[in-house]
Amino acid sequence: MDLDFLESMVGEAVEESPYRDTWVVVEKEGEALALVVLEMLGKARQLSDSLGVYVKAVFLGESTEKLRQEIISNGANVVYVTDDPRLSEYSTEIYSKVLGDLIEEGKPEIVLLGATSMGRDLAPRLAQRLGTALFTNCLSLEIDEMQRQLLATYPLYGGEYFQTSVCPEARPQMATVLPGAFRPPLADPGRTGEVETIAVDVDDVEVRSKVLKVVSEETCPEVPLGKAKIVVSGGRGMGDAESFALVEELAEVLDGQVGGSRGAVDEGWIGEEKRVGLGGTQIAPDLYVACGISGAIQHYAGILDSKFVVAVNKDPNATIFQVADVGIVGDVHEVLPALIKELKKTV
Amino acid sequence: MRIIVPIKQILDPSGMTVNRRAERIFINREEYIINPNDKNALEEALKLKDGQGAEVVAVTMGPERADDALREAMAMGADSAFLLTDEAFEKADISVAVTVLGKAIQKIGDYDLILAGCQAADTGAGQLGPRLAEYLGLPQITEVRELVAAGDDKVRARRNQGQGYAKVEASLPALLTIAQDANEPRYPTGAGIINAYRKWEVTVWGASDLGLEAEDLKPLTEEKRISFPPEREFGTKITGAPEETARELVQYLKAGRII
Repeated sequence: MDLDFLESMVGEAVEESPYRDTWVVVEKEGEALALVVLEMLGKARQLSDSLGVYVKAVFLGESTEKLRQEIISNGANVVYVTDDPRLSEYSTEIYSKVLGDLIEEGKPEIVLLGATSMGRDLAPRLAQRLGTALFTNCLSLEIDEMQRQLLATYPLYGGEYFQTSVCPEARPQMATVLPGAFRPPLADPGRTGEVETIAVDVDDVEVRSKVLKVVSEETCPEVPLGKAKIVVSGGRGMGDAESFALVEELAEVLDGQVGGSRGAVDEGWIGEEKRVGLGGTQIAPDLYVACGISGAIQHYAGILDSKFVVAVNKDPNATIFQVADVGIVGDVHEVLPALIKELKKTV
Repeated sequence: MRIIVPIKQILDPSGMTVNRRAERIFINREEYIINPNDKNALEEALKLKDGQGAEVVAVTMGPERADDALREAMAMGADSAFLLTDEAFEKADISVAVTVLGKAIQKIGDYDLILAGCQAADTGAGQLGPRLAEYLGLPQITEVRELVAAGDDKVRARRNQGQGYAKVEASLPALLTIAQDANEPRYPTGAGIINAYRKWEVTVWGASDLGLEAEDLKPLTEEKRISFPPEREFGTKITGAPEETARELVQYLKAGRII
């Protein structure tokens, strides 16, 4: 291959585009930065370093000196802030106008938002306003340095497989990032950066939707077993009703639902409507924990749609271990209390 | 009150199997369905029709077989249906779909509410609602759990927000995306199904009906490749004293982002 030719191709691409830098849109969770923001800053730093450009954060809500510094410590070169009270709470119309104006002026090459409630509401609207593409729920982001393009990877069909795509021409390239997809960086408290107050022009924005009331914690009716994200089940191996309570406690610590095998139902420790397995409730949780369940085919056939299966059983040859991603060989009466204790420490 | 419900016909995901080791996707059973979340949107529209008398219009962009999705919508109770189909739409990405649906909705006109699903079961992208709202210049309320009231130029809804919810009010016309837990969609009636195919008409529009040229329909994105999640390995066992195994398991779950 002709190196001179290649070099000239790459050189042209870099010089012509006025779009530079990776921007991260900041949001809070309570009074702290949402964890996904730190994760995005780490990834933005990586992307920017490979492109030789800056990371800039846009913080439209109420920001304190401490939070601004935290953003810089986690990789941002610049933090755009505002003290305009009209921006202190999220509003679709106001945020999309302010961000739209900022982006049109600042011309970032890449803009990242969290795939959060705000991200789902704002990012597509903003992308439409800017006439650009948006990749949502990204679990991987890379730079194709030859083409100077963002390669975004996201799940299809609920995660059955992944698609990687690019946006060849429109700018900025926008992506929402799945919380937990990237690791937060190692913060460097000594890092310095700039804090810049932005000019906000929202006098003309007609706000046609308003929040009347926010209820921060809902007393939810119990999630039906079939829709539960986490299910902890107990089987005959639990021994007695009193020990079965350990299953319920483990479910509570994990914020999940309780289920039972045919054996547990027959013993009267749990109701028929909570039976998991063929003929019982169809479940498809992210995490399924089988305690004291041997794994008769009728049971395990009903749990195969689980994303991750953990089994606890004292018999190392129990069939359940063949369909568990991870199994603990041990006595449930000892393992479950230890597990509950360990989880309470971390959660 | 006129309510427009954009729906999407998708491949039924339950007819698809993925073999991670072979890195192949098998379509065991090729069947097409209305995106389940769009049915929640349709159900909210039909509830308003039942409650206060509204006109429900279903619209879809797709190949000719998407006609079936519209017949099902009518069998559930939609009053009219529009199929937007054209060879020029085949390579559409979401930005093109928004242009096509947006133009069609403007052509239908005179609407008070647009009710859409939050996301499609195939892409899971959730872009249509807010993009369409921006295109049409409408206020939006996303992830609506309960449509409380609509009328007198206003719509009031309860939307999912973090661990709880928010009560929001928007002026009409507005676009709402309806969450999956908002309702249980009704089944079409037998008479409905018969009439949907025998009596009722679906209006068909192509690119020229919508005044769209090839350059309006160019996708912004390009698909590069597909990949697969790592193969599940069963049978990893942890043994040892209870405290140790418990700790090891919790580390494992946290490392895998399972908890």
